[in-house]
Amino acid sequence: MTSLRNAYLWLIAAMLIAPFVIVLGVSIGASKNISFPPEALSLEWYTELLTESEWLLAIGRSLFIALCAGIISTTLALAINYVLWRTGSGFAKLTFALGLGPFLLPPIILALGASLFWAEVGWYGRMEATIVSHGVFFVTLPLVIIARGFAALTDEVVEAAQTMGATPMQVFRTVVLPLIAPYVLTGFTLVAIISVNEYLIANMISGFVVETLPIKIFNNVRYGYSPVVAAASMLFVVLTVTGLLILSRVTDLVALFGTEKDE
Amino acid sequence: MTPARTFGPRLISGLAFGVMAVFFVIPLIFMIVVSFYQPDPMGFYKVDFVWENYAKFFSSFYYKVSWRSLYSAIFGAVLVVALAFPLVLAISDVSRKWQLFWIILLLSLMCFSEVIIGFAWLILMSESAGVPRFLEWVGLWADPRSLSPSFGAMMIGLVYLGFSIVSLILYPSVARRDRSIEEAAVTLGTPPAMVFFKVLLPTFRTSLISVTLTMFVYLLGVFVMPTMLGRPKDWTMTVIISDKALGDANLPLGAALAVVMLIVTVVVLLISALATRGRQT
Repeated sequence: MTSLRNAYLWLIAAMLIAPFVIVLGVSIGASKNISFPPEALSLEWYTELLTESEWLLAIGRSLFIALCAGIISTTLALAINYVLWRTGSGFAKLTFALGLGPFLLPPIILALGASLFWAEVGWYGRMEATIVSHGVFFVTLPLVIIARGFAALTDEVVEAAQTMGATPMQVFRTVVLPLIAPYVLTGFTLVAIISVNEYLIANMISGFVVETLPIKIFNNVRYGYSPVVAAASMLFVVLTVTGLLILSRVTDLVALFGTEKDE
Repeated sequence: MTPARTFGPRLISGLAFGVMAVFFVIPLIFMIVVSFYQPDPMGFYKVDFVWENYAKFFSSFYYKVSWRSLYSAIFGAVLVVALAFPLVLAISDVSRKWQLFWIILLLSLMCFSEVIIGFAWLILMSESAGVPRFLEWVGLWADPRSLSPSFGAMMIGLVYLGFSIVSLILYPSVARRDRSIEEAAVTLGTPPAMVFFKVLLPTFRTSLISVTLTMFVYLLGVFVMPTMLGRPKDWTMTVIISDKALGDANLPLGAALAVVMLIVTVVVLLISALATRGRQT
């Protein structure tokens, strides 16, 4: 039974990783056409990716949007959770429920709504529009993660601080914030990673002007292929995995996403 | 507390609600409004109130597209859950170090852009790299051809995309499950397959149904996989909506199609909520 289980685990792991092994192979191959295994090795596509200004601009734009969207999302999520935790009011619950909404809807609906909205406002095709929409639409993940942080806060520490005469602001700064900081950081990192990788919403809001990295890759694959795309994909993979590995040092991902069972 | 002290939370909560309302709810409402406007070939749209855009939906073309979107999303969702549930069960039994490996792997896949995953599969199924070439090399396929674009390629892309999300949603409840019944069954000599079908499946029936419905809604909205890996005749409603809105600049029609999709989504979510509630009481 155990061997059967391990076989299944390995099989699935291989299936999940295989596509990226091939992309890696293509990205370090010297051939201009797709071929695997590569006949000669070359770092030419990475050089092109990291020296050509259009690729660098796309990378820069994507990272900037991700950073800003991450800040907006986590600030919103923190605010909603803080009020819910302090007051537990119906209005706070409603706001929390509203924050779950974007995750439940197919992105095309959000994307089309946002693109019509921004066109009416006059921000259609502007990077700010993409930033705000990413920030608001990706609020769900930090919202749920930070809620876990507040749930883990015990009343005693807060009451102790209050008894000592701390104002709500002081309690928030010196007690609440340090204790939920890992959750906030996790939420921020995930939003930033998802924003960097997002295609559809960014494309429908301002894709024809603000070409982010995924949009550039998509256009490149559809209209004239170059192995630089493979190099760009690998850059993504490395950025994403590095982000998550750093995160796993800061917070306990197994506990956050699963269980505290085998302590 | 004094009124002055509760003013802060109220202000914060009002602001947060305002931001969500303005940038999430109003765009959706505006989209519903636009779906009643007249398309304007010269610009965006003309303010009006017509049912014409919805009437177009009831034509054979959109009927076919909707049907195709529905079955590929249902088929994909069932397939994803059927593959992910055993995996999650297996992960919950391995050591903590390997659990962390799996969580990072699944989280990475969840975060990867659809564009990159689509591109990776495109290469994996092309004739000069990947599976066809491998089969030629092994000697199983004398005349290898590219496996994409095709319906199968699109489905593989959809399943791959949904797999990490379903696994991560199921993982917490599976990892925290009460193992006493399965252990009792195993002790009494029940074969593992029997434990799976008689104990584990019934225990997780509700979460499996609800995650399948979530996945159905998610796959309904996938854009990149059909365009990259599918043929035009495999294109789903999402592609058509984007095509109408960006390609043909017929925003009212795109909006009307999106509203229909929104209604389907809300109905499915309500069914899912009811199914889960029925279980808890």
